[in-house]
Amino acid sequence: MLEKTQKTRIYLDHNATTPVGSDILSKIVEVADIWGNPSSIHWAGRGPKALIRESRQHLASALSVSPLELIFTSGGSEANATVIRSIFDEIEKTSSPRFGRNEFVTTQIEHPSVLKAFQWIEERGAKVTYLTVDRDGNLNLELYEKVISEKTALVSIMYANNETGVVFPIQKLAKIAHERGALFHSDCVQALGKVSLNLAKMGIDYASFSGHKVYSLKGTGFLYARKNCPIEPLIFGSHERHRRGGTENTLGIWSLGVMAQKLSTVSEIYPRITLLRDQMEEQIQKTISGVKITSKSAHRLPNTSSMVIEGVDGETLLMSLDMKGIAVSTGAACSSGSPEPSPVLLAIGLSRQEAQSSLRVSLGWKTTPEEIQTFIDILSQVVQRLRTLEQTQKELDHV
Amino acid sequence: MSEVKSKGRVLVAMSGGVDSSVAAALLVEQGYEVIGATMQVWDYSSCDLEEGNGTCCSSIDVDDARAVADKLNIPFYVLNCEAKFKAQVIDPFIAAYLQGTTPLPCVDCNTYLKFDHLIRKMKELECDYLATGHYAQIVHDQAAVKILTSTDDWKDQTYFLFSIDKTILPHLLFPIGHMKKPQVREYAEAKGLINAKKRDSTGICFVGNQGYGNFVQAHANPEELKKKKGFIRRYPSGEKMAPHDGIHLFTIGQSKGLGMDFHEKLYVIKIDPVTNTVWVGDEKHLYGTELYLKDLHLLDEISPDEKLDVKIRYSVRGSPARVEQSDKGIKVVFDEPQRAITPGQACVLYRGKQLVGGGWIYL
Repeated sequence: MLEKTQKTRIYLDHNATTPVGSDILSKIVEVADIWGNPSSIHWAGRGPKALIRESRQHLASALSVSPLELIFTSGGSEANATVIRSIFDEIEKTSSPRFGRNEFVTTQIEHPSVLKAFQWIEERGAKVTYLTVDRDGNLNLELYEKVISEKTALVSIMYANNETGVVFPIQKLAKIAHERGALFHSDCVQALGKVSLNLAKMGIDYASFSGHKVYSLKGTGFLYARKNCPIEPLIFGSHERHRRGGTENTLGIWSLGVMAQKLSTVSEIYPRITLLRDQMEEQIQKTISGVKITSKSAHRLPNTSSMVIEGVDGETLLMSLDMKGIAVSTGAACSSGSPEPSPVLLAIGLSRQEAQSSLRVSLGWKTTPEEIQTFIDILSQVVQRLRTLEQTQKELDHV
Repeated sequence: MSEVKSKGRVLVAMSGGVDSSVAAALLVEQGYEVIGATMQVWDYSSCDLEEGNGTCCSSIDVDDARAVADKLNIPFYVLNCEAKFKAQVIDPFIAAYLQGTTPLPCVDCNTYLKFDHLIRKMKELECDYLATGHYAQIVHDQAAVKILTSTDDWKDQTYFLFSIDKTILPHLLFPIGHMKKPQVREYAEAKGLINAKKRDSTGICFVGNQGYGNFVQAHANPEELKKKKGFIRRYPSGEKMAPHDGIHLFTIGQSKGLGMDFHEKLYVIKIDPVTNTVWVGDEKHLYGTELYLKDLHLLDEISPDEKLDVKIRYSVRGSPARVEQSDKGIKVVFDEPQRAITPGQACVLYRGKQLVGGGWIYL
């Protein structure tokens, strides 16, 4: 056991999840003891009720919106499903200004929770357009303008992609959608805590967020639904103003509030992370031959780096790095644990082989230059060894 | 506390079954640094989950393997081998049935996945050994490394191992080869492994309960299937008895499900893929004393006059035979007639307990 604790442990997979913040960890037992039902009228309900109210306020002020525009959910996936199902319901209502609009627009590189929700409404009669993204991560704006029509009910485009880190011009995209009378939703799960977000200024109608991607607890997230924008519950009940049933996850919601108070420091943290990421990419390309950074010229999240390492199988690379204590990813964390080439990387035009040789490195608030240096050293050793093995194997196969 | 030096790093192929789980547990106990891996070989989302309970393709098995790895506190990975498995195991399996032979996909899986793909992974992950839960023994005998049959005659799996590349033998470990199945289960229970009582996987992992013929029917090219219809004829008279839906639905020795009523019990004697004729006849016609072998793979030298023990299917005991070179190819001549010599199955050679090689039966 002694040997195990001395092992290197470097976590560079912050787009998958983040460690729980120390200020949350240190108070977690104390807050868990505020166990009352927030809906209770008696003394036991008051403490938790206050926690939830404060959290909502902290989040609203951090994102420049009104507290009532925030709905707590179990996470980003639920928030995504709620919006897409809501609008699909909305277009059936004769009283709605969007009655009869049966078209939806999204991209091919959304999170599965968005893509699968769209497939679900597609099977039930909706017409969904999945826009492509080029190798540099850019959306074709001309095409975008063309596909959005008077028939479009909802556009859903992520703020930033989880694998490449490419950031979309949400404000501009929302404006175009609004000009045609369509609603605009953005999956902002990867953006929170990595860029400064002002939802009011972005001019969007809905946004989804997840706690565990920003140093809060898992199983908690929230949905921003702009005032007067239609929303239907996915889970019924009187909580969250009838927009999301179920006794509130007090502990998780509290953790979101703690994190929200730190969001103002993002603008201080991220110049350092951007620099660290850029230096890392530069040094990797200098030390290891045949490395291409995916969507390098695009506007990217400060912490994300996706790279193709020629002649190396990503699956093997991931395992080899894991055994040396380095946690990175080949793409999205797959629930089965069996990596298929990333659909996102294939969608932006990487070949199957390139996608299978891809590595995603995502830095966090506390990533240090020393950790990055150790990672680069280990990566170059492992890549060199795997390439030599591959070469020997090829020669053997040839004989 | 004195530190125990590792005996080396081992990659263990874990299927989620009790045998490979115990193999992993034993290695941990013996002081190896153990890494577990499961090959995901078939898209289980298309399988019936209920049915999948206990076959290699089900996610439940992956979960079981992972649970055992967690219990043993060892790293565990799922390797995506679907494409390779389809190309090297499933496609040849279907092609073989359409050729009127009865394939043995477990050997292909061993040849191309377990003892090739995993050997590569073993090297890539800087492991010294690859271990599996096979009932077989590795013995280091003077200069040579040999494979011997398991002490559990009933479970012995050396029949499936004849195609192993000799050069990898020094890197192989079969940790449960000296144990009998009840002992393996007992050990699993004592260790608290969740699959201690899981039923044995029998048959071919990706086929499930649907039967081989139906699997081929469901996965082969429909155009190809249409071309495989023909007639059942009486052997040796040639009398036309009934039409059939495809030669892939038959195997040598089969007497049930021939799709016709007849007053005596008839057996499939021969399948002719050129005319799509399925020959049926009396049981006595099933017996033969000779067969031909292709792709003979030897793990040790043999001489033409040596009497070996030869197995023509997994579930039989070996019979004395000689292996000789003839004009037509490599011929195996048995002392006693053998029942239902089936093209496509493996013919595996033993010297006492030692596995010396094998090849594929053709007539």
